[in-house]
Amino acid sequence: MSANQLRALDVLKGVRFTRELVLLCLLIVLVVVLGQMSPVFFTVGNLLNTSRFFVEVGLIALGMTLIIITGGIDLSVGAAMALVAVTVGLAHQSGVPMALALVLGLAVGLAAGLFNGLMITRLDLHPLVVTLGTFALFRGIALGVSGGGAVSSFPQWFEYFGQFYLGPVPGQLFVFIAAVTAVWLLLSRTPFGRYVYAIGNNEEAARFSGVPVRRVKVVLYTGIGVLVSMAAVIYTSRVSTSRADFGAGLELDVISAVVLGGASIYGGSGTIAGTVLGVVIIATLRNGLSLAGVETTWQVFLLGVLLIAAVFVNEFFRRREE
Amino acid sequence: MSAIEASAQSRVEHRAAAAVHPPIFRLAGVTKRFGGVTAVEAVDFDLRRGEVHALVGENGAGKSTLVKLVGGLYVPDEGRVEVGGEVVQFSSPRDSEAAGIAMIPQELDLFLELSAAENLFVGRRRPRRPWGALDWRRMEARAREQLGALGVEFDVEAPVERLSMANRQIMLIAKALMGDAAAVVMDEPTSSLTEREAARLFRIIDELTARGVGVVYISHRLGEVFMVADRITVLRDGQHVRTAPASELDSEEVVRLMVGRSLDERFSRGGHEAGDVALEVRGLTRTGEFEDIDLTVRHGEVVGIAGLIGAGRTELAQTIFGVRAAERGEVLVDGEPVELDSPAAAMEAGIGYVPEERQSQGLVLPFTIAANISLSILGRLSRLGFVASQRERETADGFAEQLAIRGARVSEPVSRLSGGNQQKVVLAKSLAGGPQVLLLDEPTRGVDVGAKSEIYRLIDRLASEGRAIVLISSELEEVLSMADRVLVMREGRVSAELSREEATQERVIAAATGVAVGEDEGAEGAAPAASVDTER
Amino acid sequence: MSGVDALRSVGLRTAPTTRGLRRWLLRPEAPAAVFLVVLLAAFSLAADRFLSPDNLESILVQVAVLGIIALAVNQVILAGEIDISVGSMLGLCAVAVGTVATATGGLLAPLAAGVATGVLTGAVNGLLVTLGRIPSIIVTLGMLYALRGVILLLTGGTWITQIPDETRVLGLAKLAGVSLPVFVMFALFLIVNAVSRNSTWGRDVFAVGGNRRAARLAGLAIDRTRLLAFALVGAFVGIAATIYVGRAGSVQTNAGEGLELQVIAAVVIGGTSIAGGRGSALAPVIGAVLIGVILNGMILVGVPGVWQSAVLGALILLAVTTDALRRRLVGGAA
Repeated sequence: MSANQLRALDVLKGVRFTRELVLLCLLIVLVVVLGQMSPVFFTVGNLLNTSRFFVEVGLIALGMTLIIITGGIDLSVGAAMALVAVTVGLAHQSGVPMALALVLGLAVGLAAGLFNGLMITRLDLHPLVVTLGTFALFRGIALGVSGGGAVSSFPQWFEYFGQFYLGPVPGQLFVFIAAVTAVWLLLSRTPFGRYVYAIGNNEEAARFSGVPVRRVKVVLYTGIGVLVSMAAVIYTSRVSTSRADFGAGLELDVISAVVLGGASIYGGSGTIAGTVLGVVIIATLRNGLSLAGVETTWQVFLLGVLLIAAVFVNEFFRRREE
Repeated sequence: MSAIEASAQSRVEHRAAAAVHPPIFRLAGVTKRFGGVTAVEAVDFDLRRGEVHALVGENGAGKSTLVKLVGGLYVPDEGRVEVGGEVVQFSSPRDSEAAGIAMIPQELDLFLELSAAENLFVGRRRPRRPWGALDWRRMEARAREQLGALGVEFDVEAPVERLSMANRQIMLIAKALMGDAAAVVMDEPTSSLTEREAARLFRIIDELTARGVGVVYISHRLGEVFMVADRITVLRDGQHVRTAPASELDSEEVVRLMVGRSLDERFSRGGHEAGDVALEVRGLTRTGEFEDIDLTVRHGEVVGIAGLIGAGRTELAQTIFGVRAAERGEVLVDGEPVELDSPAAAMEAGIGYVPEERQSQGLVLPFTIAANISLSILGRLSRLGFVASQRERETADGFAEQLAIRGARVSEPVSRLSGGNQQKVVLAKSLAGGPQVLLLDEPTRGVDVGAKSEIYRLIDRLASEGRAIVLISSELEEVLSMADRVLVMREGRVSAELSREEATQERVIAAATGVAVGEDEGAEGAAPAASVDTER
Repeated sequence: MSGVDALRSVGLRTAPTTRGLRRWLLRPEAPAAVFLVVLLAAFSLAADRFLSPDNLESILVQVAVLGIIALAVNQVILAGEIDISVGSMLGLCAVAVGTVATATGGLLAPLAAGVATGVLTGAVNGLLVTLGRIPSIIVTLGMLYALRGVILLLTGGTWITQIPDETRVLGLAKLAGVSLPVFVMFALFLIVNAVSRNSTWGRDVFAVGGNRRAARLAGLAIDRTRLLAFALVGAFVGIAATIYVGRAGSVQTNAGEGLELQVIAAVVIGGTSIAGGRGSALAPVIGAVLIGVILNGMILVGVPGVWQSAVLGALILLAVTTDALRRRLVGGAA
């Protein structure tokens, strides 16, 4: 067995050595190329600022990683994000104290995720189909409730929250690092993390071993709902607005990041380190292209191609290894 | 004359004709191995035109493997397959179908949403209208025709999911005929049929043989076998024991051929006192799987559960372990009733289970040995919510030593181990929680001889430590040598309960197949005739 | 004595044939059809104008594009796959139609351009799924976004306007008071229905989606079956795009956005199982009409348009839940 395979099968460590190294190299190459395309890109200020952008995608990608490892998927994250943002905005607008509005937003995100989780486990429905439905439902509720309008008059401290720096480092980065550490620990060091990998590799054997499969899945979908709430709050704060069309196309960035990071779309493998690298690569790509004047549609085009290519490459090598 | 007797009569008439023609197919000296296990070894088997050739043997005797060799699912490692006198190499089921061999497996694989008529024509050239469209009317007419030729009628337009099991089977037979099959292999065809439906099936088999089609009839219901078969072949442990015309054999003889084995390799268990009742099952029922099961196992006792495939043993064990939900009945552990709504709950109650399918149910293959063993007790191995790797490794090392798990370090993937060692890992995992009751489902299947005796020693030791053990096994020898008591299950019910002294191979097989076998040790008077058990 | 009589003489029952009303009620589209009738009745009580021929015709016209595309996506779903890139495909085909229309005029040339573009794109989807062995959800999710980039490339971000009248015929003309798109939809329905029921490919789609393992063992051409289904989607999107361009009179760069959801909804609500193997060509049509009726009814009753997406989502969830419950009840029963 090659070193690659040996490492690939070692669940106790959270890092798949070769894959992460490749991604790191890819990132470096990317940075260099983008630096050539735009002089502004390769400044410390900009690089740190980029991190501001990837926090939202990154937080959700952390949750998506666990879901994809179990062989599931969640297409409704972008819509749920809009729902949370709209909740916060409307609550504030109707006079609710901001702190309470934030709590409401968190509750809504959690409820959305819980809804997904229960539909999937209680009715034995495929996650794809359920989250396709909630993708429309959540977005629809957000649109309906907000009437398509926007809320912009947030209190000062809230706006500051999304835009502050600690020294030269954007504040959200700390939130992200904390989240990454927490989820990484959860996945690689706790029983729950083991359960996630077990379910993804052999759900039946996991069940026979006493793993609470249903409960784990419900927690995963609810958990991503919480992460979505966090991301929604950060984003709303950053742009100082709350609208129902937030998060459009977010699922593309998130799923692409997870797959790019090495997770198999069929489940059973994936790491937080890989996902983080995937998130950083995608965010860097987006940022660098923006600076070079490339339109959003093109960025999205690249992402679409990247998603297909990443899954193809993943599965191609996985089949070779067998 | 009943329909059954009528069919028996026509048996005699066909047999004469059958002997004259060359065989439809022949397996000559075929051997098939899987890993280290030999499923069939140097077996000869042939099927003549117009005959019903029954294939009997215990679980694991090699019946399924043998027919899969002629069905294109397996390729023999040695020996050859001949059809119509020519040597053939089948690379897929389609090849064997094209050669005129139709398989009707125990688990029918159908297109449930499509109609019966359509199922008959899948993958075949279909009748068409002049402009190229499919001609449904003709398809349905032909379907009805085929069914009519078998003396059967049912709605060929309705989706197959609405047909009864019996009709689905008949549909497959009709499909075989449509494809001009020369041979039809039926695997346990009457297991889901009522007595009337079975009688109808026998009449259809008559129809088939009257046309010169040969039928391979695999069944453990010896009563039926003697009703339909012209010849009977007995397999045992993958080897051919005897092939003879049915007239030269009787049930008792067949049973003896199925089980007759030298008894000198028996594992001897140390005797010990059995303690209080550890596990008690009362009236446990799951419709269609098992009914009204009562079972008691004491601390220090090994209760063997014997029976044929489909008797309901695994379903019973899985229900006790909380994988399936019981419809009626209760389970008590150490006198206390327990709610078994999940494996976790069962483990909590002190019950452990080693599943039947090692790879698909017992192990997470990409995980390390240690990770597999610890999966059920991760909570206990954690400190402050984190898995303590040190403790995990130590626990795994401990089990590896106790159970003599060899072949890799505990930090390596379990996929590296041999079958026997993998089985030990599964055992370790179920032992990790310290269960007082252990349910073992075919614990030595696919395990080499060395590991087998190690596992036996382990079971003996576990019993002497006071644990209550339920041993489900299709290997008679294993059950007879390990068990203090033997329960035999047949078609979802307990058909016999034998003490260690009472349990003999013949008695167990008789209880498992429903054939009453006479006492042959010092009995006076004529042995009673084999009676057909027709109760349902 | 026939076989049946012989059996009866021995006392064995023959199975009854399911005919008439009972058979119709057991079809997959039955619940949706019943729901449709109920809704029509309900809305007609709530608003007088609802059942007027004008209103009904306008509902059908509005869902024609949806219905045509749903007919083809239905085949993909029956085969056990999914296609959520159809909205972007519509945009791309509309660009092709518009470009050729403003260049050469006429109807046939733009139509051909649209269909060709569609078939090409559909084939790419199909090849990635069959040869690339990439799950169809990933392929079509990626294409959904990738195609938007292609649209941008071709249009440079500007709308295509001033579509000649001849091109717009398919979208605007009426025949006996009924708009052409409605005829096209029903004509295509008849064709797809006939093909689905009477061609080898049509039957193979059901087999491949219903029991892929058995289909493989039976030697069916699984890859080719799926590839054709994806290509068919492309062709129908091309036709729908021509109608769309005809009605809109211009091609916006975001044409077709959000359509994929409506299409999946139409298929699933109409009674086709998302798991594959169960459904019919009628299901997407009933589903599309149902969606049209619901959206139209919503407006008439005064529900703001912003709630459309929520209603669609709720309907999808309701449909798959019903299907799952039905499977649980029927599953395993012989």
